[in-house]
Amino acid sequence: MDKDEAHDYLSSLLNQNLRIHTTDGRMFRGTFKCTDPDMNLVLGNTHEYRQPSKEELGAAAANASGDSVSLDMTSRYLGLIVVPGQYIVKMEVEQFLSQMKS
Amino acid sequence: MADFGVGVPDEIARLSLGQGSAPPETLPPNIKSDGIVAVDITAKFSEAVKTLEPGAIVKDGFFTLFDSVAALEIMDPKMDSGCSRPGAEVEETYDVSRSLLPEEVLGIIDQLLCHEMSWHLGYPLSQTLFTSFYVEALSMPEPRSIEEATFVRNGNHNPNEQLMLQALRAYCLGMLKSCGYVNERIKSEHFYEEEDFVTTTYNRTLLASLPTSAIRDVLIEAIAALRSQRGSMPDNLVEALLARLELRRIFLDAVECPKNMKEPNLAKKPWREGLELLPDLSKTHSLAVRVNEAFSATLQRRLASTMPPRPIVQLEFDVAFGHLKGLFADGLELIDVLNYTDSQSLLTFVTCFQAKKPQPIVYVRTLLQTFLFDAMEVLGSMSIRQLLDDDFSILTMPAHQYLDRANDEIEVVHDPRYAMAQQMELFRTRAAQPFLDILRTACQNRCRVRRTLCHLLRDWESLQMDAEEIDQILQVKIEERPTMYRSAMSGSGVESYSLPLSSWTYLYKLRQMEQIIQLGFELEIYQTDELAGMYWYLNYISKSRLHHTERIKSFLMKRVEETHGRPGYSNPTIDAQLQRSLMYARLSLLDAAVTWELSDSLSCLYTVLNRLKLVKAPPRPYSTDELRYEIRMRPFAPIGLPVLPTFEEFTAGTLQPDTEIDELFEYAERAVEGAKRGFEALSKMTAEESFSVGSHARWSSSVKNGLKSCIATKLAISAVQKVIQTSPSLDNLKIKVDVPTPQKAYHEWWIVPKVLPVA
Repeated sequence: MDKDEAHDYLSSLLNQNLRIHTTDGRMFRGTFKCTDPDMNLVLGNTHEYRQPSKEELGAAAANASGDSVSLDMTSRYLGLIVVPGQYIVKMEVEQFLSQMKS
Repeated sequence: MADFGVGVPDEIARLSLGQGSAPPETLPPNIKSDGIVAVDITAKFSEAVKTLEPGAIVKDGFFTLFDSVAALEIMDPKMDSGCSRPGAEVEETYDVSRSLLPEEVLGIIDQLLCHEMSWHLGYPLSQTLFTSFYVEALSMPEPRSIEEATFVRNGNHNPNEQLMLQALRAYCLGMLKSCGYVNERIKSEHFYEEEDFVTTTYNRTLLASLPTSAIRDVLIEAIAALRSQRGSMPDNLVEALLARLELRRIFLDAVECPKNMKEPNLAKKPWREGLELLPDLSKTHSLAVRVNEAFSATLQRRLASTMPPRPIVQLEFDVAFGHLKGLFADGLELIDVLNYTDSQSLLTFVTCFQAKKPQPIVYVRTLLQTFLFDAMEVLGSMSIRQLLDDDFSILTMPAHQYLDRANDEIEVVHDPRYAMAQQMELFRTRAAQPFLDILRTACQNRCRVRRTLCHLLRDWESLQMDAEEIDQILQVKIEERPTMYRSAMSGSGVESYSLPLSSWTYLYKLRQMEQIIQLGFELEIYQTDELAGMYWYLNYISKSRLHHTERIKSFLMKRVEETHGRPGYSNPTIDAQLQRSLMYARLSLLDAAVTWELSDSLSCLYTVLNRLKLVKAPPRPYSTDELRYEIRMRPFAPIGLPVLPTFEEFTAGTLQPDTEIDELFEYAERAVEGAKRGFEALSKMTAEESFSVGSHARWSSSVKNGLKSCIATKLAISAVQKVIQTSPSLDNLKIKVDVPTPQKAYHEWWIVPKVLPVA
């Protein structure tokens, strides 16, 4: 990818909703505002989502009747955040199914 | 809030900005929508950012780097409350439905009590009560009815199934509700956020939507259920639990006491009951078993806050209990303020109550403000005019025609009484705010008292100008005849008018100036080598007050003579008012005199100690005496009268270079002897004579401490004198001087040095 192309690509992502997965297993969903060469990210209007803890999983599994259990991730509102690049394990961009190129 | 200057009108101050009970909640978006697909871009993105030059950024045009400063940094353990320590489970969990032993319930309740008191002392809820899983279960999600306010919400769970959980639930509900009351009370008055108290509730309502009666019912039900179990549990445990539930019930009554403002005895009842109950609480604390798992700092992550997680505040039970006891004792004493006798006694009450060490906690102080000012009525029943007129009549205008209510009825414009009514009303509107601010200021924490007084002083300075103008208008209207003084210099007569309004104002102004200096001693603002100068200045101000009070007294005497000289005169009400004013003048004279003489003596003593290098100045490479003088006197610089001494006068007064040490000691001894006699006379005064009805015990203990300070000063003087006489040279005296902190001195305002021999 050359410089201009990369810049265009990053700019095209601005103000899109990103989902950032961090090393500690949390996910952050917010609007992409800024990035730099170290992949530090600034997200606006961010919500944090957390996987259920082991105990909660255990409790749910004990109560569940079937083989699989489904638990909602717990979330809270954080607002404007910076995610340092070193902690990012996965990034996703949200796209409308209807608008995706097939 | 509440960092408004005290001068802000109540209506504005009560607009609690940004503290609405329910800020709009941002709902988390659903991340499992069918129409939206998350596309993995990790590889492409990381490749793209690698092409960026060092220092280059890609950013949204509306996003400024300034904004990014406010951003929360993820994975920074100091900022990110969700960040988990490596290896540790992120969220600690606890089963709130588990069955508990009575000892454990006691333990949890006592831990909650410690947290509640920590909150009262100024820690945020997030580090105290909100670290409890039980509190969390009761407050999230917000219960809409009392039935919903249970530890376990799902299904048809009976909250009263287990007696121990029923008792704990009742306790928690009562506690949260009363915390809600306390928070609202504090928010509605002047206080300093973060400095005194943290009112934020992190989007929790503290059960605001549940009626108090319903919570009281839950408590009563739990108490009854416990009583019925007396046989099946050890008695001491049942009694211990009962005492704690009873405390919650009483606490709810206590925080509702402002509604009984018109019936002080009824308002006192819960405070007195609480105080009687408290010993049972501390006695049974030894039965309690702590349940540390029921509290977790990680609960802070669920709060609407971006504050970094902080450790749980751990307050010892004994300390917390001491504060709780203080709260009830102060609350009980506070109600006495409602028994109004006269404005000066009220002022004495408020000043003495607030000067207590330790100072009453924030809640008690705000409660006092509520009593004083709620709904623009003083003590729930008096108008501000009544209070002001009472004060005018005590200080300078006993039975004065200006204060005659009949003046208001006059409609004839050229009648002097019409002018009196008009002008007095004008003066009252101007004086009301500064006067009430004196009371309001006294309710703040000690540092703020001094700071606010410095601001208030300017208001009084401008009020004095208004007063002088109104005095002049009125003395022309009523054709007041001046008193003639024979001036010693020229031999001709000098005219002097009574000027009642400006005299009143000036007296208050002088008292505030004294108080600012005295609080400086109390708050350890001055360094030891500055004490000589500050006592010299205090002496200067109190001398002005003494002279001013003498002037007021001479006009009072004149009024007494005039009134008694009138043919056929007999009116007990007028007589009583005149006597009361004379009594006040006597008190003010004595008070000014002891302040004058003791400060004179201490100033001389410190001058000698400075000269003998027994009190040394710390090195001050960047400061000069003159600059420091300017800073110290900044609050007083804008004051026209008494005029601020020049730096040269101040230096001369402080160093007294032309006076020998012997002479200085002679002055000091004579002055302290006078002060001692003055304090003795003060201590013999009754509550009525000293205008301390309702707070006489506190007032006289302060006087006694003043007397002790006199004796200590005498001892210090003679100790230094003796050493000087016996030692061959002044350079090598075998003593050292210890300047105590205000807490260690007999009186916070009189810092008397201790003279100790050197081995």
